[in-house]
Amino acid sequence: MKIGTAKHSYQADEALLTTRPQRLWMGLFALGLCIAPFMLDNYWLYLACLVAINVASATGLNILTGYTGLVSLGQAAFMAVGAYTVGWMQLRLGTPFLLNIVAGGIVAAAVGLLVGLPSLRVKGLYLAIATIAASIILHFVFVNWQSVTNGNSGLTLTPATFLGTPLTDYKQLYFVFVPITALMVLGAANLFRTRVGRAFIAIRDRDISAEVLGISLLRYKLTSFAISSFYAGVAGGMWAYFFRVVTPESFPFVYSIFFLAAIIVGGMGTILGAILGAVFMTLVPELLRFGIDWLTPVLPNAAAMLSPVRTIVFGLLIVGFLIFEPKGLAEIVQRTRRYFHLWPFKK
Amino acid sequence: MSDLLFFFEVTLAGLGSGALLSLTALAFVLIYKATRVINLAVGEMLMLGGYLFFAFAAGFGLPAWAAIPLAIAGGGLVGAVVERGLIRPMLGESPIAVFMVTIGLGSILVGLVELIWGTDPRALPAFMGNTPIFIGEAYVSRKIAIAFAVAAVVIAVFLVLFRYWRGGVALRATATDQAAAYSCGINVPGVFSLAWVIGCGTAAGAGVLLGSIGGISPAMGVFGLSALVVVIVGGLDSVAGALVGGLVIGLIEAWAGTYLGGEFKLVTTFGLLLVALMIRPYGLFGTTEIERL
Amino acid sequence: MLSFTRRTLLALSASAAIATALPAAAADDIVIGGSIPLTGVFAFAGVGIEAGMQDYIKIVNEAGGLQGRKLRLAYEDTGYKVDASVAAFNKLTSQNTIHLYYGDSTGFAKTINGELDRMGTTIMAGASFATELNDPKAFQYQFMAGPDYSEMTGILLEYIAKEKPGARIVLVNSDTEFGRDPIAATKARASELGLEVVEEIITPPTAVDVSTEVLKLRRARPDYTIFHGYVLAPLPEFMTQAKQLGLETKFMGTFWSMDASIWSKVGEAADGFMGVMPYRYYYDEADNAPMLDRIREMRPEYQSTPYMQGFLTAMLFTEAAKRTLEAGQELNAPNLKAALNSIENFDTGGIIGVPISIPGNSIPVGRIYRYDASAQQMLPASDWISVQE
Repeated sequence: MKIGTAKHSYQADEALLTTRPQRLWMGLFALGLCIAPFMLDNYWLYLACLVAINVASATGLNILTGYTGLVSLGQAAFMAVGAYTVGWMQLRLGTPFLLNIVAGGIVAAAVGLLVGLPSLRVKGLYLAIATIAASIILHFVFVNWQSVTNGNSGLTLTPATFLGTPLTDYKQLYFVFVPITALMVLGAANLFRTRVGRAFIAIRDRDISAEVLGISLLRYKLTSFAISSFYAGVAGGMWAYFFRVVTPESFPFVYSIFFLAAIIVGGMGTILGAILGAVFMTLVPELLRFGIDWLTPVLPNAAAMLSPVRTIVFGLLIVGFLIFEPKGLAEIVQRTRRYFHLWPFKK
Repeated sequence: MSDLLFFFEVTLAGLGSGALLSLTALAFVLIYKATRVINLAVGEMLMLGGYLFFAFAAGFGLPAWAAIPLAIAGGGLVGAVVERGLIRPMLGESPIAVFMVTIGLGSILVGLVELIWGTDPRALPAFMGNTPIFIGEAYVSRKIAIAFAVAAVVIAVFLVLFRYWRGGVALRATATDQAAAYSCGINVPGVFSLAWVIGCGTAAGAGVLLGSIGGISPAMGVFGLSALVVVIVGGLDSVAGALVGGLVIGLIEAWAGTYLGGEFKLVTTFGLLLVALMIRPYGLFGTTEIERL
Repeated sequence: MLSFTRRTLLALSASAAIATALPAAAADDIVIGGSIPLTGVFAFAGVGIEAGMQDYIKIVNEAGGLQGRKLRLAYEDTGYKVDASVAAFNKLTSQNTIHLYYGDSTGFAKTINGELDRMGTTIMAGASFATELNDPKAFQYQFMAGPDYSEMTGILLEYIAKEKPGARIVLVNSDTEFGRDPIAATKARASELGLEVVEEIITPPTAVDVSTEVLKLRRARPDYTIFHGYVLAPLPEFMTQAKQLGLETKFMGTFWSMDASIWSKVGEAADGFMGVMPYRYYYDEADNAPMLDRIREMRPEYQSTPYMQGFLTAMLFTEAAKRTLEAGQELNAPNLKAALNSIENFDTGGIIGVPISIPGNSIPVGRIYRYDASAQQMLPASDWISVQE
């Protein structure tokens, strides 16, 4: 257990990881991320890539919902904007994929700004419903803007290329996605040590008070929308390179609910929460697949139960966490940490 | 056939499906009025109502006059269980959290229905008859006409109940000021339960109507989203708003679907929703909330 | 950050343990992989497809397999979601050597085909008859066990043009990729055949109340109405209301709406519904159909149209593998696809009523059936129609 902080420089005071064990564990974790692809088979690599994409998007939603208190049910639609931008640039302009992904983020951020406009007048649930409306309008655009989106059949992408090699293997994609996601998570962690991030938190806690304190609601609410959609757009861009087919049906409304559920289960308003939530919610359905596999000898009909059981578990997780653990998985982690910090001295 | 008659028929059809929307919106309004909870699971309650009717009418072979009340009662019972089990523990939490609980609840209900009845779309036993109805020369689908009549009667009954019945007055009192209602001796938790029972029962009844028109499937809950637009446009806590909003949205959907094309239906209503939110954030008939520090 | 790291490592090692603990496949089995929707909106099809494939595999294995090698179906449920299908594909291909794969949706087929081109080991068929996939250049290792959606409506138009030249037609399509697939091709073909498309109706995918659409239909006064992009709802409501209005139009659908057991639940309103069907029905007592006898022997109760689709797909998979092995070639995608394309005037044992050839990615053959509510059966309304060029 740590007693007292003796810091000799501002640099030490500003560090994200302040203690040696923290740095050690983080280093091990980073090392684990680097060697994991060499130990996993294709299936688990696929899931690892999907997790990276979902973590990026959930972190974005967490900035908006967890830190700024603006509920959005349009995250999947923003991802779609990013994915379509990437698809269009890849096919029409043939620009390098990293540029495309960033551009996807920027276009999504611009759309996010537009969608954020109602947040100045309505809030809470009304805003959530306004974002539903926005995603339905975006869906309509994707279906009908034939020249750019190719309508219902969507865009089929060529793979991203890096120095002439097409990135098609999940291992290659892993080494693209995981660093991008790590960078974005790091960015989010740092955001809340700046004036902008603190303004978001002030708005979440009480927007009228924040305004009285001289925080421009117009500016910061829209900034939050833009940043969050940027994250979604980048995640959507990665998604586009991952599945290489983008159709209007690729990003359904339930995907937005999925992200909201992920940050609730993980813990709203913490960086760790969004990560844990996205990992957990992505892997649970797949783990249920194994559960069903093991049940099949006992219950011959088990396979037919998988999808309903997944749906039920998805709902139960949301309800259960909200009622019994409103601060999510991140809180459980914190509790475990505290327990080990105090270990022999407190039960 | 003249264009005018065609327009008239489309308008009638729009009013008919609007009445169904009103009825579903009523379920939202009842629950929101009493408990300040937006119950996004109304769509799934609706679906459950359709399936309960299916179970009673097709499974047990009961006649429609017995199966319909049983389905509505079943919906009410589920409402009561949900209120006691999931919503009561969430009292005092942020509205967003409770809203998310109802989303989770919706997912659970869909999963349960899929587990019990499977995912195949099914047709409900016919109980409405088949003779077409003509108003003058204009054709109205019989089922839509019946749905319109039922919705009109139910909404009228609710308006009367809110005005004169003790329970209805208690509900309005709770909606206006919970603390004051408590101090007048109103059983506020009882009112909460009552609102959920009636709300979910209404939704189940709407589900029977909807299911007999378009068949039932676990995905039919999306109808709730259209009804959500209705309550946002009409005002979350206004019965009159649900009525007017439902008819307006029904008409606009019908006109948009006919003159622009079916793909414009949803986008028109949701576009309208955005406009309505910008002009009147609390709906046409909703109560404006004033925030103080 | 401490326990987070530990937990993640634990989770990673646990998952690695799970991945390695699974039983390895018998080494020389020929494995047919499958992303099959056993649950979700398309479950009725997936259940039939799985049963059909299993039955055909059983027939082959009972006859000694392929050169002594047994066939085996390794499949996963997808719930008809693309990401779950891709997950299943990755799981199955990393656990087995798979040369033949059954995929569920169009989106999945489009996602995986790029992968197939690179792998070069596997050919794929599936539940999608999307027109886009019927392009041997863009989707070289894909095929479908029937006509594509445009060819299906083409067969319907062929029939209409013969029955009533110059007929007025209304197209009703759902606002989805599936629904909009054949619209352009249908319109082009109709004008070639001298038929008039008088109205196109697009319905939202979740449409329940179709009164306004029926009013449009009444105004258009068509001789034939062609639905595509639906399984059942909202077809019965369309037909009931049209009958109430005294419309003379005949209603038609495509393969996924053609199962007799779905329509038998609708009752009287279903009478007279017509559609294109590439296979024979379970109860068809035709003389030259030994396979149907065999199916009835194995399964005494009615089997759905998706069952036939699965059965035929497994048959074509087997035939491709058999021809490749008989030629002494390695089982890989180019060889398998070449073997499949070498199928000419092939007798399907009566599943399809005429000998078939697969020069490209589809089998453009079908027959018009009409539902008879009193017999609760789909009965043939035409002879087999081929739209092969």
